[in-house]
Amino acid sequence: MKLRRYPRATSALALTITLVVLVLAGIVMVAPFAWIFRGAISPTDAVLFKLPPDLIPEGATLENFGRTLQAVPFARFFLNSVTVASAVTVAQIVTCSTAAYAFARLKFRGSNILFALILGALMIPLQATIVPLFLVMSKLQLTNTLWALILPGVFSAFGIFLLRQHFLSLPESIEEAAKIDGAGHFRIYAQIAMPLAGPALATLAILTFTHTLNELLLPLVMINDTENQTLPVGLVLLAGRFEGGTLTMIAAGITMAVLPVLVVFLILQRRITQSVASSGIKL
Amino acid sequence: MTTRTTLGGGSATAAAPRRAALRHPATRRDGLAATGFLLPSMIAFLIFVVVPTAGMFALSLFRWNLLSDGQFIGLQNYERLFSDERLWSIYARTAGMAIAILIINVALGLLFAVLLESRMPRWTRTIFRMSFLFPFVISSVAVALIWRFLLDRDLGLVNYVLGILGVSRLDWLGSSALAPISIVIVASWKMIGFSILVYVAGLQSIPTEYKEAAIMDGASAWQRFWRITFPLLSPTIFFLLIINTINSLQIFAEPVLLTGGGPGDASRTIVQFIYNIAFESFDLGYASTVSLTLLAILIVLTVVQFRISRRWTFYG
Repeated sequence: MKLRRYPRATSALALTITLVVLVLAGIVMVAPFAWIFRGAISPTDAVLFKLPPDLIPEGATLENFGRTLQAVPFARFFLNSVTVASAVTVAQIVTCSTAAYAFARLKFRGSNILFALILGALMIPLQATIVPLFLVMSKLQLTNTLWALILPGVFSAFGIFLLRQHFLSLPESIEEAAKIDGAGHFRIYAQIAMPLAGPALATLAILTFTHTLNELLLPLVMINDTENQTLPVGLVLLAGRFEGGTLTMIAAGITMAVLPVLVVFLILQRRITQSVASSGIKL
Repeated sequence: MTTRTTLGGGSATAAAPRRAALRHPATRRDGLAATGFLLPSMIAFLIFVVVPTAGMFALSLFRWNLLSDGQFIGLQNYERLFSDERLWSIYARTAGMAIAILIINVALGLLFAVLLESRMPRWTRTIFRMSFLFPFVISSVAVALIWRFLLDRDLGLVNYVLGILGVSRLDWLGSSALAPISIVIVASWKMIGFSILVYVAGLQSIPTEYKEAAIMDGASAWQRFWRITFPLLSPTIFFLLIINTINSLQIFAEPVLLTGGGPGDASRTIVQFIYNIAFESFDLGYASTVSLTLLAILIVLTVVQFRISRRWTFYG
C-alpha cells in the first residue's frame, strides 16, 4: 500500500504544477498570434498599440485587409509560395523514397561511399552554398523564375535519411514473399514499401512543405520581379512600411499569411503529430 | 564495369568468397535497379549540392562583383579571412546565440515534452501540444515581425507586462546587450515546437512496462527519468542536438527583420553577414570564402557530435 500511495500523492501536486507551467507556456505561445490578429482589425495604429489591449479593438474594421491587398499583390505571393512548396514536396517524395529504397534494400557497388556522401550533404545547408547556387541558377537562366526556388529543394539528404531508416525497419520477409511471386524491385517499391511508409512519407511531406513555404533567403536572392516573389518576401516588402506609420496594414498582412496555415494545421494536427510519432524520427 | 563482386555491398567485403560468389548474379541485377532508383536524386545532388560546393572553392580564389570579369587573386581571400576581426566577432556572437538556442531547445524542449506526457485529460494535452506547434508551422518572417511589435521599447506588450511585474522598460531591440537575447528568445519560440514534437514521439516509443517495473521496484520519478527515460531517449536527444546545431547556426530572418543585425554588429549572424558581403557589397569571392568557413565549422561540429555520441547514446 505504501508503495502505491507514494507516487499518487506526488502526482496530485505534480499535476497542478505541470498544468500551471503548461498554461503559462501556452499563453506565451498563443498570445502573440491573438495580439497580431487583433491589430489587423484595429482602425488606427493608436488602437493597435492600446495598452492594456482589449480583446476586440474599438471600431474594429476589415478595411486593413483591402488596403494591404491593394498595396502588395498578396494573392499572387500566396499562389507562388504554395506552388513552390507543393512542387518541392512532390519532388522530394519521389527522389527521396527511390534513393532511400535503393540504400535500404539493394546491394550495389559503392553504396556505402555514396551514402557517406549524402550524409555529408546533410551538413551542407542551402544557406552555406547560396552564392554559387545563385550562379548555377543564373547560368541555367532560371533566376527570376519559380524554378530557381523549386530545383534546389529537389534533393534532400534529410529526406533520404528519414525514409531509409523507415525502409530498413520493414520486415524483409514481406519482400522475400513478393520476390518469390516474381515481383521486381520497382513493384516491391511501389506496391509494398511505399504503401507501408505512409507515416514517414507524411512526416517528410509536412516538414518539407512548411520549410519551403517559409524559406526567406532563397527567394530573396533568386527573385527580382515582384510578381514571382513568395509570401515571406512579400511580408518583408510590407514591413518596409514599419517606419511609414501603417502598422495596422502590416498586422493585416501577417494575419493573411499566417491564418490559412494555422487553419490547415488545426485540421491536420492530429495526423501530423501521429505520423511524426510513428515515423520514429532519429539518426 | 568489372565484375568484382566481393566489393558488392561494401559490407560484403568480410563475407566468405563462397557467399560472395553465390550473391553475384543478384548483385549485378541490383546494380542496374539501383542506378534507376538513384538517378533522380543523384542528378539533383550533383547539380545543386556538389557543383555549388565545388564552385565555392573555385570562387574563393577570385575577386568578383558579378558585373566585371572575375580576377584570380590566389589565396588573398583566405589571408583576408584571418585579419578580418569583424568576421570573427560576428562568429562569436552567432556562436553565443546558437548555443543559447540549442540549450533552450534541447533542455527546455525535453522538460515541456515530459510535462506534456504526464497524466492529464486528453483535450488539455491536445491544446497544449498545438499551441507549442503554432509558431513552428508559420514563417520566420511572420514570427520576427510579430515580435518586432511585441518587443517595442515604448509601446510593446512585453515591456507592458514586465512593467506590471515592476521591471522598468527594456530596450529589447536597440541595446547591444539585449538585441542578441531577443534574437535567441524569438528564434527559440519559433523552433521549440519541433523539438517538443520529436521528444514526445521519442517518449511515446518507450514501452510503459519499463516504467511500471521501476515503480514496482520503488524507483522515484527522478530515478526513473535518469535510469530509464534518459538512456532510451538518447538517440532522440542526439538527433535534436545535430538538427538544432545546424539550424541555429543558420539564423537569418530574425536578425534581418528584428534588429537589422544591430546595433552595430551586436546581433548580426554569420548567414546574414554572408548575405551582406555577397548581395550588398557584391564581393562574391570573399562571400564564398566565408561560406566555406561556415561549412567547415558545421562539418567539424557534426563529426565531433557523432564521435562523442557513441559514448552516451544507447540504441536499445
